[in-house]
Amino acid sequence: MIELIPAIDLIDGKCVRLTKGDYDCKTVYNEDPVAQAKEFERLGFKRLHVVDLDGAKSRHVVNDHVLRAITSATNLVVDFGGGIKTEADIEKAFSAGAAMVTVGSIAVTKPELFLSWLDKYGAERLILGADVRGGKVSINGWKEDSQEDLLPFLRRYVEHGVSNVLCTEISKDGTLAGPATELYKRIMAEYPHINLIASGGVSSTDDILALQHEGIPSVVFGKAYYEGRIDINRLPMPDSNAASPLTPHQSPITNHTLAKRIIPCLDVKNGETVKGTNFVNLRSAGDPVELGKAYSDAGADELVFLDITASFEERKTFTEMVERVAREINIPFTVGGGINELADVERLLHAGADKVSINSAALRRPELINEIASHFGSQVCVVAIDARNDSDGWHCYVKGGRQRTERGLFEWAKEAEQRGAGEILFTSMDHDGVKQGFANDALSRLSESLSIPIIASGGAGSMEHFRDAFTLGKADAALAASVFHFGEIAIPDLKDYLSKENINVRL
Amino acid sequence: MQVAIVKYNAGNIYSVVNALRRLGVEPLVTDDKEQLLGADRVVFPGQGEASGCMKYLREHKLDSLIKDLRQPVLGICVGQQLLCRHSEEGDTDCIGIFDADVKRFHPQRHEDKVPCMGWNSLHQMRSELFSGLAEAGTPATNHQSPITNHPYVYFVHSFYVPLCDHTAATANYILPYSAAMHKDNFYACQFHPEKSGPVGERILRNFLDLRQ
Repeated sequence: MIELIPAIDLIDGKCVRLTKGDYDCKTVYNEDPVAQAKEFERLGFKRLHVVDLDGAKSRHVVNDHVLRAITSATNLVVDFGGGIKTEADIEKAFSAGAAMVTVGSIAVTKPELFLSWLDKYGAERLILGADVRGGKVSINGWKEDSQEDLLPFLRRYVEHGVSNVLCTEISKDGTLAGPATELYKRIMAEYPHINLIASGGVSSTDDILALQHEGIPSVVFGKAYYEGRIDINRLPMPDSNAASPLTPHQSPITNHTLAKRIIPCLDVKNGETVKGTNFVNLRSAGDPVELGKAYSDAGADELVFLDITASFEERKTFTEMVERVAREINIPFTVGGGINELADVERLLHAGADKVSINSAALRRPELINEIASHFGSQVCVVAIDARNDSDGWHCYVKGGRQRTERGLFEWAKEAEQRGAGEILFTSMDHDGVKQGFANDALSRLSESLSIPIIASGGAGSMEHFRDAFTLGKADAALAASVFHFGEIAIPDLKDYLSKENINVRL
Repeated sequence: MQVAIVKYNAGNIYSVVNALRRLGVEPLVTDDKEQLLGADRVVFPGQGEASGCMKYLREHKLDSLIKDLRQPVLGICVGQQLLCRHSEEGDTDCIGIFDADVKRFHPQRHEDKVPCMGWNSLHQMRSELFSGLAEAGTPATNHQSPITNHPYVYFVHSFYVPLCDHTAATANYILPYSAAMHKDNFYACQFHPEKSGPVGERILRNFLDLRQ
């Protein structure tokens, strides 16, 4: 469904519309923009586009007090534009509650500055405003035309990660002449991944439906609504039962990240899974290959097999199991347990594992990480860390959590990354087995300080816990054992739930 | 049907062997000229560093042999990259089937991790490799995530092929790029179909089923 974005344009704190961007040609539609925003919310809209026309003209944000009043009075997700020329303007808009800002002129006149903002605030919070007249990008409240052609202009920014583009055809705006559909189709053909927000010219419900038909992701409309030409009942309104309004960090517009992964973990001893299982329809519930296959068929994104066998001879049994997994399962899998030296890694990779997970051995001899990374590549090297939040901070533990080390969680994780780890699998011993949720504070700290993926482990008890590990903990993947083995959470239900919570998962 | 897998110094060829076996095909892993030229299908897998791979292929004259293949060929991961003109990885001249140059990912934001490792969705699929997949995946339950209409496949890579005339599917990570390519009898994918669940299996099956 196309995303519907009603617009409020502000002059002197009032809700107005201009025709073709001409300040002398304005109509006041509502003296009270806050009341108007509340009305949009009551009608069931979730988004709002606010344009500070005074700001655009005077080249700095002017109506931020109106923005603050709107965001305090409603739960609408608001993007704000008009007059954003400096970082101070952006901060003003964000602190007044904007979820996103729309920046136009600066992208034309000071590309470097725009890119630095993109870097600082992220593509989810920055909308590239491309106002077009006669194929050229227009700037400064449409009072000037630049020499920039639209498509090359867009290319430069899309290549730098811009994912939200608000494109307004000025010759159409406020004319009710119908949107510049051909232009939008051309843009979508060129950049099918961007969230293109069509703006200008919408005259009727049918115009919106036609844009939806063409696959345009989002549309802004103003005058058509204010002139009573929009039939709300015929619009594809957002689901009123949908989750609470999105915060900027959960913005739906993050369309170029990898799917968050769900990873069941199987403990294996003497070739059999150790923990009990409620999986029915398995010929042998104890067979890790068959259990792994069942998880894979259910939609698991990856599997982890941990060898908890003690003796040397039994390692052979585990290696044979790895070969069977590689033959029968068609998703990536990691193996861990008892890996002490490069030869162990080689044996398991040769048996068909995609990655290996090392734990105590890496703490004992950190160079092992470098060796694995340089021989086989970082992508095969998962460093697992068991840690506990002791009175003197998070510390790493070895020997299955029985022995404390003096290594701190965060500094060890950082060192592991620097040595070439491809991923960190972090298990909070405080949370493991308690089923009260993952260690989200520590997870988000790891996620923010490292630039390799973080796998959350320990504490999964409900589907909400997985959501929180991804949103609050910012984890890239979440691993669990018993909630899956005992059938408390079925993976298809979990994926479905996460998808409804706006988390990008593989369906 | 005889499927040959090009044997060279790239890693993890056996996951492709396993995947083909799951489809009921017993592939031949070989660097023998006659066997490669005579096979019905040739798979050119790859995991490793481009310059080392190309050096080996040249020394064994496999680069020119691959160029001469006339049956359907499928390059996978580094295999796709080696079928291009040039790679930034080790500043390497490659085989040159596809008129494109391989670039390194440059992260733009903290979330952009390199290597790109994980499941991503395919877009703009325009090759028989993707028959039956356009509608795959669960229909979007959420209007705000249009990508859930697209099949997910598994990627592990630090270098990418930009969009070009031979792009047969796109993916988006840091920027849109070629997730798959096609030119004449040469097909390629940047992702690992052998690790991409039922979607990947379908893609391999489609490759085997191509009309010659």
